[in-house]
Amino acid sequence: MAEENGSNLQQFSDGVLANNPVLVQLLGMCPTLAVTNSLENALVMGMAATFVVVMSNVITSLLRNLIKPHVRILIFTLTIATFVTIADLALKAYMFEVSQKLGAFVPLIIVNCMIICRAEVVAIKNGVGRSLADALGIGLGFTIALSILGIVREILGSGSLLNFQILPDAFVDGHSWVIMVLPPGAFLTLGAVVGIVNQIRASRSKGGAA
Amino acid sequence: MSIGALMGIFLGVALVNNLVFSGFLGICPFLGVSRKVDMAFGMGCAVTFVITVSGVVTWLIVHGILAPVGTAIGQPHALDFLKYVAFILVIASMVQLVEMYLKKFFPPLYTAFGVFLPLITTNCAILGTCLYIDMKPETQSLLNAAIYAFGGGIGFMVAITIMAGIREHIRFSDVPKCLQGAGITLLVAAILALAFTGFTGIGK
Repeated sequence: MAEENGSNLQQFSDGVLANNPVLVQLLGMCPTLAVTNSLENALVMGMAATFVVVMSNVITSLLRNLIKPHVRILIFTLTIATFVTIADLALKAYMFEVSQKLGAFVPLIIVNCMIICRAEVVAIKNGVGRSLADALGIGLGFTIALSILGIVREILGSGSLLNFQILPDAFVDGHSWVIMVLPPGAFLTLGAVVGIVNQIRASRSKGGAA
Repeated sequence: MSIGALMGIFLGVALVNNLVFSGFLGICPFLGVSRKVDMAFGMGCAVTFVITVSGVVTWLIVHGILAPVGTAIGQPHALDFLKYVAFILVIASMVQLVEMYLKKFFPPLYTAFGVFLPLITTNCAILGTCLYIDMKPETQSLLNAAIYAFGGGIGFMVAITIMAGIREHIRFSDVPKCLQGAGITLLVAAILALAFTGFTGIGK
């Protein structure tokens, strides 16, 4: 059992770094691009998706011996849809303004391929502990990736961070890069970040081999 | 409803608020299936087809079942919490139905669509369009909802086909190693999105 504990930790850290869902596996792209125009939106989206992936992994893992193979995708989708509804109602009740800004992207967590991928790859085959560790790692990795994009786009696009102005007035008054909070800025930032991550990974694997 | 207003809805969702470039929907197939023009076009057709059918069916479910039953028990929004589950079930079963129907009656079309049909269930462009149809004031009639869904599908098809055309040429250019694959695709998408912002204002 000790070995399994070690691998749980490994599973967790893999989700954050080596297998980061957004920056390495390129899953869950839609919310990544759509809601990262400010750090606040990115954090709330990350938390909502983490909640859903944790709950869906735990439930799928508990039910894994009851699910027939040919209906599994349907069961995954229904489980995820149930928890997304809970998350959506909770956001509307306690964080109404942010939930208005996120709009349709909260219900769209249902079709986030990152979550269904974790159910299919990990939860259906492993026990609750390992599935939970995996979900927490993936959720944290997703939140971190979204936050990186959110920080870059909010600073360059509105000159602020978490709605506090941090760049001088001369930048904010009419000279901020509005394009960064618009759709093209999202594609541009994600493309650049993916490029940087690839560069880091390439130089690391080279260093490891030498 | 005049033809002009319907045209406005169609152009608005196909070009101005393009699903991919300004709505950020369907990015996964947009990045994954845009290597060759014919594949991209096939995916675009399949999506347009499913999006139109599920847009109409989910509209019927909201206005034909959920809202009347809610009104009957005295709270029009009482069943709203069922929407997401109902939508995703409709989309999954529509995809399955369309697949079986094509297999039986249009085998050439079925072979042409290939693996794209089952993949569409998790395409967020479909669910996203159904949700927008439910949220927006201008899609409260069935005809408008159908036009909106069809326009969304066409917009997706245009976007993914343009991207595939560009990517066929990128293969011959000297892209920095770290940007190969997803990186350069996203940067090209940024430039395309910039071009699509030029449509802002059309149809008003």
